[in-house]
Amino acid sequence: MTKIGLEIHCQLTNLKSKLFCSCKANYREFQINENICPVCMGLPGSLPRLNQEAVKKATIIAMALNCKTPEKIAFFRKNYFYPDLPKNFQITQLNIYGDTSVGGAGEIMVGNKKIRITRIQLEEDPGRIIYEGSSSKNQITLVDYNRAGTPLVEIVTEPDFENPKQVRDFLNILSDFLENLGVSDPSLEGAMRADANVSIEGGNKVEIKNIGSFHDLEKAVHFEITRQESLHSREIPITQETRHWDDQRKITVSSRSKEEDHDYRYFLEGDIPWVSISPEIRNELKSKMPESISSKKERYVSKYQIPVQVADVLSSDKFYSDLFEESHTVENAKEIANIITTDLMGLVDTREKRKDSKFTATHLKDLADSIQSGRISRNSAKNALYEIVQTGKSLSQIISELDLGNVSNESELSHIIEEIISEEPQAVEQAKSNPKAINYLVGKVMQKTKGKADPALTLNLLKSRLISND
Amino acid sequence: MNLKISALEYVQEVKNGNISSEDFMAKTLERISDVDDKLHAFLSVNEDAVDQAHEIDKKIKSGVKVGSCFGMPISIKDNICIKNSKTTCASKMLENFIAPYDATAITKLKEQDAIFVGKVNLDEFAMGLTTEFSAFGPSKNPWNIEYVPGGSSGGSAVSVSAFECIASLGSDTGGSVRNPGSFCSTVGYKPTYGLISRYGLISYANSIEQIGPLTRTVKDTAFILNIISGLDENDNTTIDNKNTNYLSDIDVGIEGKKIGIIKEMIGDGIDPSVLSATKDAISKLESLGATCEEVSLNMVKYSVAAYYTITATEAGSNLARYDNIRYGYDFPVEGYEFNSYISKARRNFGPEVKRRMMIGGFVPSAGHAGKYFLKAMKVKSKLTKEINEAFKKFDLLISPTVPILPFKIGEKIDDPVSLFLVDINTVTANLTGKPAISIPFAITNGLPVGIQLMADSMNDKLLLQAAYALENTVTLPEVPI
Amino acid sequence: MVTQEEITRVSKLMKIEIDDHREYVDKVKKMIGYFDVLDSAGVESEEISMPEIQISSLREDKHIPFSDKLIEKINHYKGTYIHAPKMSS
Repeated sequence: MTKIGLEIHCQLTNLKSKLFCSCKANYREFQINENICPVCMGLPGSLPRLNQEAVKKATIIAMALNCKTPEKIAFFRKNYFYPDLPKNFQITQLNIYGDTSVGGAGEIMVGNKKIRITRIQLEEDPGRIIYEGSSSKNQITLVDYNRAGTPLVEIVTEPDFENPKQVRDFLNILSDFLENLGVSDPSLEGAMRADANVSIEGGNKVEIKNIGSFHDLEKAVHFEITRQESLHSREIPITQETRHWDDQRKITVSSRSKEEDHDYRYFLEGDIPWVSISPEIRNELKSKMPESISSKKERYVSKYQIPVQVADVLSSDKFYSDLFEESHTVENAKEIANIITTDLMGLVDTREKRKDSKFTATHLKDLADSIQSGRISRNSAKNALYEIVQTGKSLSQIISELDLGNVSNESELSHIIEEIISEEPQAVEQAKSNPKAINYLVGKVMQKTKGKADPALTLNLLKSRLISND
Repeated sequence: MNLKISALEYVQEVKNGNISSEDFMAKTLERISDVDDKLHAFLSVNEDAVDQAHEIDKKIKSGVKVGSCFGMPISIKDNICIKNSKTTCASKMLENFIAPYDATAITKLKEQDAIFVGKVNLDEFAMGLTTEFSAFGPSKNPWNIEYVPGGSSGGSAVSVSAFECIASLGSDTGGSVRNPGSFCSTVGYKPTYGLISRYGLISYANSIEQIGPLTRTVKDTAFILNIISGLDENDNTTIDNKNTNYLSDIDVGIEGKKIGIIKEMIGDGIDPSVLSATKDAISKLESLGATCEEVSLNMVKYSVAAYYTITATEAGSNLARYDNIRYGYDFPVEGYEFNSYISKARRNFGPEVKRRMMIGGFVPSAGHAGKYFLKAMKVKSKLTKEINEAFKKFDLLISPTVPILPFKIGEKIDDPVSLFLVDINTVTANLTGKPAISIPFAITNGLPVGIQLMADSMNDKLLLQAAYALENTVTLPEVPI
Repeated sequence: MVTQEEITRVSKLMKIEIDDHREYVDKVKKMIGYFDVLDSAGVESEEISMPEIQISSLREDKHIPFSDKLIEKINHYKGTYIHAPKMSS
């Protein structure tokens, strides 16, 4: 029985400031060591000041994962020396004096599998390290503290995963989940990291650290399972240890040789009192929580009859569901969902494209209404969509600029039909006997009108014209 | 010019135009250069102090509003950050550390136009009772320069006692303001935990320490407390004192107050002259209308062990940041491996700090935490319960500040446990967060004896009223320097 | 009871170089030995207490950059990165 557990670190990138000081939470735009202050640098005499919104967001995460949330939370020091740790201790959470981290004993469904959440804790991120120097003699470590103090939520699961695919699915679901809650943008580089622990056949648990991406996580877990199975089959016992993922060689390597005796000397952080989160506040947080992905999906399917696959895509991506929520009415919901998941998707499939896109909910509403009213054809709508994403101009403007409006004026259309009939005498003859051949003529009308002819009206007019010709 | 005046007297004299801030400051600097070679209270003196005082005089002359300190010279213990000044903690590790920001208490005093005449000596990183553990040499007791001035805020007490300044800010983790106050015959005050912001105080044991003023009179302490106390958004452990005015009604007296005499603090090992001074203080308080009765705090017996266990643990963590990587002294990293670099860099800690680091690594470590650190935390809880019970019956608690007279420099430096026990009367207030004050009460064989009063949390105003009452029952001889 | 092994382990943990000087080690052992008195305090059943703060009193989530260019004031080196010794591998 393979057992895999995860420790996921998620940065609360939607916060404005760090966990214990007012430097910026999202450090990515800064020059080296320019997003620092005496507190996050751990200068002598500095003291941590806890971020209220961070506690609230962490509590929301815990609630959304169905965790128990205690009335009082506490912070502890984890003491060890490392260059990326300005104070040489990390302020984090533990549960050694009762339940004092933001959440515990929760669960989340991954398909049909229930994954139990052991605990959720709030803690600070360390700084970033790069190594410089080629020979062992001149090697030094370079440290950038811009990230030090960034708020992290650590989510620890029970070893409920049975295979690497489940792990990968879970991480994708969790990503969407956290984005939907409005607490983090997982697409930001480094915003979500994870470590894993693996055991097989009831044997010892091996921790794997230093995994750079979710893609690597799946590989690392896969490798580790294989490694353990190989040992097991040769009746070699599996040592309980910590291994790190070697991205070059694509293997896990024992950290034992460089691992010192880690005695963290945990004790309560004396600079932060226990934080009381009253039932009133917790209820308020709960009531203001954004609707969950599964609830949205259900609503889309049952209320608007949106097809299940479409609803899936729509609900699990916050960018799309936000657009949908803002623009839809009961009448146009299906159309809106359709536009988003077919034509829009390809135009905004990356973070950069979404950032640059000038497309708004108003545009979307206009588009859907115009299609439904026949003002423009679906084909034209596709072109208009592209233009709007690039320029942000209103639909009306684009329709007139690019002359996209449907030709739905009967007399105008009849005029064009006359032209086609005179141009295509053979097809006209064929169409009288073969109904399917009429589509060729419809196609010609569409061509002549650059796709703006209302197809249904064209067909009707053609039919009646051909009949009347007899 | 008479330097032997209190802060309030100084303010009055300057307001009346009888003295100028600049003259007083110049005279103060002269005094420092006269006596400090002998006393070694100061680690650094503010060369610009006279110019700054001149600016205050200008302000006064031009009718602009001047802060309540009127340019009075205040010395600051060198573990409190003043922006752009060296803050060394009397340690080679921070010999050249220049603080890039002001402590909140400093900001508040600056706003009231106080002038910081210099940084004063302490035991390295505030770990000690005598300033003998300063990396830059001990300070001397102005009452007899062969004797210790107490610690860790020894420099503070010496500078106030020897008229090298009007007042001082020290820090009190286990008695470090009250103990030197007692040994040098000045008032030494530790407020309720959380009353004064610790932002800018370089941490030793952050869950129990406080900045505390040292002054020549109780009223002066109340005056300083009015300025530096209060909620601070830079320190999550500060509490709202609702802008209490500690100076008003300070002379209301202690008629009808019930005072408990802590049995465990006048027991074995107390010096007979200290005991008789204590008894004298008690009878004086009774003659003022208070009733005094013995009370037992059983956990006091374990308080010293608990204190040193907890403080070593916190210090071990608070001092971990001194690895010379972000700041410190000139020692390039090239060619070194991480662990060996740090261990070499930390050689710059003095022997007492190193000992505390070792203890601080041991007592909370896996396998030992249950026996030492956790037990100490439980003793702290139980002691708090006991003292809370006592305060249900009593308004105040009394004991001598230190059970023994000041001792000679070098006398106790080799016996760590005997040194620990000098703290036995003072650590309780820190472990329980209660306010406590040492009032100069007697001079025996030329050596000062202080009496300690404690009150319940947030009863600092009452405590100062009682201290004022006791202070006025004695007239003490002048310091012989 | 503190063994020599323990002393060595703790000195590595705390990055404190100790000379195996008997006197030094003896003092540390004596200090820790004094703490044995805690065993007779009879406090096993005590709970650990801590001060409290309401969540609404905590700091507001706002970005306020530090007023000075801090790195210039604390960096020994003229570069922008902080230099640390190499890590053992």
